[in-house]
Amino acid sequence: MAISLQKGGNVNLSKEAPGLKKVVIGLGWDPRASDGAAFDLDGSAFLQKADGKVRGDSDFIFYNNLKSTDGSVIHAGDNTTGGGDGDDEKLTIDLAAVPAEIDKVSFCVTIHEAEQRKQNFGMVAKAYIRCLNGDGNAELARYDLSEDGSTETAMIFGELYRAGSEWKFRAIGQGFKGGLGPLARSFGVNA
Amino acid sequence: MAISLQKGGNLSLSKTDPDLRAVLVGLGWAARTSEGVDFDLDASLFMVGANGKVRGDADFIFYNQLKSGCGSIEHTGDNKTGEGEGDDEALKITLAGVPQDIERLVVAVTIHDAAARRQNFGMVQDAFIRIVNLDTDAEIVRFDLSEDYSTETAMIFAEIYRHKGEWKFKAVGQGYADGLGALAIQYGVDVA
Repeated sequence: MAISLQKGGNVNLSKEAPGLKKVVIGLGWDPRASDGAAFDLDGSAFLQKADGKVRGDSDFIFYNNLKSTDGSVIHAGDNTTGGGDGDDEKLTIDLAAVPAEIDKVSFCVTIHEAEQRKQNFGMVAKAYIRCLNGDGNAELARYDLSEDGSTETAMIFGELYRAGSEWKFRAIGQGFKGGLGPLARSFGVNA
Repeated sequence: MAISLQKGGNLSLSKTDPDLRAVLVGLGWAARTSEGVDFDLDASLFMVGANGKVRGDADFIFYNQLKSGCGSIEHTGDNKTGEGEGDDEALKITLAGVPQDIERLVVAVTIHDAAARRQNFGMVQDAFIRIVNLDTDAEIVRFDLSEDYSTETAMIFAEIYRHKGEWKFKAVGQGYADGLGALAIQYGVDVA
């Protein structure tokens, strides 16, 4: 059953979906109907060690780096307008393939060139980010960016983290000022 | 005290003013001070269902159709210059009277005869939209449009919409270069 998350909400994915092996993060939005620069939302993932930082820049999965070195996280490609039905960008995570030294994978969504284009999530129609069980595609959690992200331009959606032998998902829904560059640097990427 | 919203922001009207029964949506702009034809801005409202469209042409409230079929929405009339203090055009909405299948009230502003007069929003100053509690006269929320819209001649100013059992207000401020006709078509109005 999908849980619609408010800011700060929490979901124990292992309870919702016992035996979770694959997770899909889906990002969707409607193309711009009004005049002006297109809304270009970008999904990204950061593989982190226990200290909350990446091992190196290759742990930052985004439109210019679509696959983690071990293949555990795969980005399906950049959608620059929101055209098309369903999820417009997708990140697939194979939990068993995530290296042992990686403790956490954080998922983020940013608006490309938000400052220059003067855009925020509230201006985008039907923008959401969600987490699916990769087997069977049951929706586990969803965040309504248009409604609840309104004046933000970047957001940390949530994180997958190890808890013993299990993986759990913590929904964060926290806005971040400054865009993808500063966001990546906060995870230790040399952007 | 009125809350001032930025573009993209939204606010729960129901939470901010729990006794809210009816609202006045006031639109204002500064009259032209430079040489040339007056700016005749027109407020209009599209009553939109879950499919993003009006149910029929009667759901398009504007200077030629001042009242909705259900009687819950009323346009106070055309102001052709922007002259006068405060609201230049207004829409009165009785919230409980809005039909259940209507999910959003899209408030638009357009420039009359824009193409012929060679006008666009970039030339208009001090445009604002505000929501007032019709019973108490208290201003609940306000959105000031301070940006240059240059080539646009029609704009969705704001939306009043249902969300999880509440009425909410969203500051939109997004424009269209093709005018009221194109905007109306997008919402399913038959403009033939």
